[in-house]
Amino acid sequence: MVSDQKPLGSWSVKQGQIITCPAVCNFQTREYIVVHDNKVLRIWNNEDVNLDKVFKATLSAEVYRILSVQGTEPLVLFKEGAVRGLEALLADPQQKIETVISDEEVIKWTKFFIVFRHPVLIFITEKHGNYFAYVQMFNSRILTKYTLLLGQDENSVIESFTASVDRKFISLMSLSSDGCIYETLIPIRPTDPEKNQTLVRSLLLKAVVSGNTRNGVALTALDQDHIAVLGSPQAASKECLSVWNIKFQTLQTSKELPQGTSGQLWYYGENLFMLHGKSLTVIPYKCEVSSLAGALGKLKHGQDPGTHVMPRFVNWETPQGCGLGFQNSEQSRRIEDSEKHIEVEVRKFLALKQTPDFHTVIGDTVTGLLERCKAEPSFYPRNCLMQLIQTHVLSYSLCPDLMEIALIKKDVQLLQLCLQQFPDIPESVTCACLKIFLSIGDDSLQETDVSMESVFDYSNSVHDEKMEEQTEILQNGFSPEEDKCSNCDQELNKKPQDETKESTSCPVVPKRAALLNAILHSAYSETFLLPHLKDIPAQHITLFLKYLYFLYLKCSENATMTLPGIHPPTLNQIMDWICLLLDANFTVVVMMPEAKRLLINLYKLVKSQISVYSELNKIEVSFRELQKLNQEKNNRGLYSIEVLELF
Amino acid sequence: MGEFKVHRVRFFNYVPSGIRCVAYNNQSNRLAVSRTDGTVEVYNLSANYFQEKFFPGHESRATEALCWAEGQRLFSAGLNGEIMEYDLQALNIKYAVDVFGGPIWSMAVSPSGSQLLVGCEDGSVKLFQITPDKIQFERNFDRQKSRILSLSWHPSGTHVAAGSIDYISVFDVKSGSAIHKMIVDRQHMGVSKRKCIVWGVAFLSDGTVISVDSAGKVQFWDSATGTLVKSHLIANADVQSIAVAERRLISCSKKRQLLLFQFAHHLELWRLGSTVATGKNGDTLPLSKNADHLLHLKTKGPENIICSCISPCGSWIACSTVSRFFLYRLNYEHDNISLKRVSKMPPFLRCALQILFSEDSTKLFVASNQGALHIVQLSGGSFKHLHAFQPQSGTVEAMCLLAVSSDGNWLAASGTSAGVHVYNVKQLKLHCTVPAYNFPVTAMAIAPNTNNLVIAHSDQQVFEYSIPDKQYTDWSRTVQKQGFHHLWLQRDTPITHISFHPKRPMHILLHDAYMFCIIDKSLPLPNDKTLLYNPFPPTNESDVVRRRTAHAFKISKIYKPLLFMDLLDERTLVAVERPLDDIIAQLPPPIKKKKFGT
Repeated sequence: MVSDQKPLGSWSVKQGQIITCPAVCNFQTREYIVVHDNKVLRIWNNEDVNLDKVFKATLSAEVYRILSVQGTEPLVLFKEGAVRGLEALLADPQQKIETVISDEEVIKWTKFFIVFRHPVLIFITEKHGNYFAYVQMFNSRILTKYTLLLGQDENSVIESFTASVDRKFISLMSLSSDGCIYETLIPIRPTDPEKNQTLVRSLLLKAVVSGNTRNGVALTALDQDHIAVLGSPQAASKECLSVWNIKFQTLQTSKELPQGTSGQLWYYGENLFMLHGKSLTVIPYKCEVSSLAGALGKLKHGQDPGTHVMPRFVNWETPQGCGLGFQNSEQSRRIEDSEKHIEVEVRKFLALKQTPDFHTVIGDTVTGLLERCKAEPSFYPRNCLMQLIQTHVLSYSLCPDLMEIALIKKDVQLLQLCLQQFPDIPESVTCACLKIFLSIGDDSLQETDVSMESVFDYSNSVHDEKMEEQTEILQNGFSPEEDKCSNCDQELNKKPQDETKESTSCPVVPKRAALLNAILHSAYSETFLLPHLKDIPAQHITLFLKYLYFLYLKCSENATMTLPGIHPPTLNQIMDWICLLLDANFTVVVMMPEAKRLLINLYKLVKSQISVYSELNKIEVSFRELQKLNQEKNNRGLYSIEVLELF
Repeated sequence: MGEFKVHRVRFFNYVPSGIRCVAYNNQSNRLAVSRTDGTVEVYNLSANYFQEKFFPGHESRATEALCWAEGQRLFSAGLNGEIMEYDLQALNIKYAVDVFGGPIWSMAVSPSGSQLLVGCEDGSVKLFQITPDKIQFERNFDRQKSRILSLSWHPSGTHVAAGSIDYISVFDVKSGSAIHKMIVDRQHMGVSKRKCIVWGVAFLSDGTVISVDSAGKVQFWDSATGTLVKSHLIANADVQSIAVAERRLISCSKKRQLLLFQFAHHLELWRLGSTVATGKNGDTLPLSKNADHLLHLKTKGPENIICSCISPCGSWIACSTVSRFFLYRLNYEHDNISLKRVSKMPPFLRCALQILFSEDSTKLFVASNQGALHIVQLSGGSFKHLHAFQPQSGTVEAMCLLAVSSDGNWLAASGTSAGVHVYNVKQLKLHCTVPAYNFPVTAMAIAPNTNNLVIAHSDQQVFEYSIPDKQYTDWSRTVQKQGFHHLWLQRDTPITHISFHPKRPMHILLHDAYMFCIIDKSLPLPNDKTLLYNPFPPTNESDVVRRRTAHAFKISKIYKPLLFMDLLDERTLVAVERPLDDIIAQLPPPIKKKKFGT
């Protein structure tokens, strides 16, 4: 719908005069031409206000249409079938106009083409239920007449015409009163112009519109493979606009027009124009290159025009008139094939790399793939999705379905990748990932191929998740066993060997650790995360807490309080998560007997942290005092005399 | 090398005016900047962002828009309802045209550069044709309801978008009629009934109009249909920019240890304090007498002061606005100062771009905006016009830098682009012209005794030119052959002052905003491998090492930002600093922007 419809210009004829031919624009002179009262020609431009005062020419014969296309002068088609160029006509408006068509023959429809830079005019006439096509070539001034044979259904009335042109033929499509679309091929270069030739029409699409609607039926060709039809598909239904692929005989898209239409439909520059109710509706529509994939709905319909995904699919040649179809039995094999096929195409596209619309193409491809994943549960182009995620241009908000599907499929590898790449994952989804990471069985983990980048060497780790025994180490002023830090040194001396061995045992298998690290790295807001953490089962909470506690112990092993590895979780992330988990599930954890020891350890950890921080605060205060002293020395006020020596 | 007592002055309470608008000229790579006090400055971005030209401000002129038209012509329009064209050669206002539409809020030059469009308070949009020597009113566009705050031409020049209050209009330039009116939503986050002011519009070649408004929206409109395509809500914040002017705002009287500070509408005279103590490097000495504010001299009228100067003896103060030249005689009786204005200035002394006194304070040199240089003899309480050097025929370029030799025989003057002219003051004729250089002169001075003219350019090159020999000195040639140290050339502020030590002829003292340097011509030049600046004083290095690493450039970066530095006597320097923190403290607080949900 064009909102705020406001004409840029509007002109009217005097009362009593009737406009008998639609106004056209002469693209060469930027003037408008209209005919009123059949014979009176008016020409004006934007600056003119009053139509009564503009150029006027009264012709000697009645005008059927004025035809204008870009790049050539307008043509005037008279009701008697004669044609004149506008300039030649204006040179002598009263010139005699010959009669071309016979008595009682009436022009029904006309169209003007440019073929190889030569204007070609076609018009269709009707006489007593018989239809004739006239093709006028302007370079050779040859007029050829053809008789259209209606074939089997002699009684049908043709309601609407459209035509498209290729190198050799004009393809004339007609919508008959039986609701079918027929095609007639008219050669552009006639073999024998003198002889009256006949043309047979062939059925193109069956039952496109209901046979008994008479109003609001129109069709227009969009390109060689697509036509748009206006009308009711069934007798009772509302009128609608549908776009058909005639090559594969499929309905591409359809839109209901509840307020009714007037049977007028135009297509200019990738926009469909029609009257809908009382307003002009414009629907941008770009025909995709016709492909089998597109026709079968493997590609997302209505995808943003201008994306380059479509042309990347192979266009399988199909014979004309091929029916609607593939057998269902072939489906699963086809899905496998198409997954592989899509993967190859995506890889090819990614190899090309940065095209200006790279971002949008990737986004559209992913949405397209996910759309199909949802429609066909067996379709899951995993490798392809992984590749697309690694382009770094996707985000959660761009394709929320992606993680949803991965969660359903429990694809931890894909989830890990998403957590690493997407900056905007909602807390609920992060938590859902965490649930899966904690609950997935070791066996299924073993098969996955998760990135181990964030996990340090586990050569000493024990792969027993039930392990309850925890360790004590004495680094950075922390001792889980000892309440008083002053005794640290003593502790350390007591059992050093024991500790180093025990502290390296990890409560989870390395692959799970890698997945949990991905969670630790992800961004979150506490308020939104807390409610979701409450949904995690208690034994998983304890497992995660144990892992975090283990990481903390690992951190305290060195002076910088960091973990080894390429991209390990930081101490702050670990501490924040410990706090979060305890906050969310404190009552649950407290009630669990197996978590008791862990809680005691954590309590001691916090206590020791507090003492470390209080010491740090003391140091900070001392430093601040020093800084203040230093500042006083530097602040010299507004005026001073100083000694400067240059060396 | 040298030990000095430095008077470190931080009481120059100078705050640069805010920037109102800027206009960039693509062809010449120059940026015109207008400030809230009406001053317009032109910066040459190719020449190290040097402030090349400047037009003094005026209280009643609030410049709202600046633009460059074809042929590097600069126009401004403001709330006084006038369009002005600036003469970039003579450095004055060529003419002012009242557009009769009330205050002007916006102005835009057509893509062809031949038409000027202004948007006025009364809602009118007026089109002017730019003729070779003036502008001519052509037509009015359809009058709008309220003031036009922003304008933008379609690159083809056929249409114009105008931002007003609550809506944007699109005009057809040929007919002058408004073809679309696009209503801007007043609402901001669902509330606010205030008017929505469209502060800026941009017209793209594909017909898209982009608007920014007071509700903090950036909106995209289709000008063909007049419909909103996209709307983005952004948190907008004002940008405060600070640029300290490079003009000379400070002069000093060596004899009486006085400093003269120039502000937009007044002058301040300060006497430096003194000390009897001595100390070692870095010490702050106890003051026996603090600095005094002696005088506060206010000019009448709305015009800003262009330039000012105090004579070396401290008995004369001269300053100038666009239309008046003031000369004051100061009398000192112990602690009392009396001030007397010298009346009846000759008509040719009306608008000075630069004023300079000779070393003995007997002569006054004035560079007028007509390109002429006037020499005035001062004696007792009166003055006598001695001579005027007229600009060479055909040129009108104004001189904006002057330097006089200590013996008073030579006067050097430089404009913004052509070379430096040296005049013989005794014989009253042009002595020679230093070859023109690609980059503008930022500072120059004539050395005593040798009469070598030292010139600093905006690309950080320093030349020494012997006036008596009319050629570059050997030292200058050596420097050019070897080239300056790369760190010296990478400095981003120009040298603003050059002076000499009376007892050490081999020394050149110069400074920019961030360093003070003494060039000792007797020492070898540093090459790119040597350390140019060593902030640490040598401690226990042997003499051998010191001698090997010593080079001609002795740099101190203690004082910054340094507005002025000069030698008061052999062992005393005065440095005027304007700490940035003090300026920032006087600015309005920035809009705080909260990021993310923390």
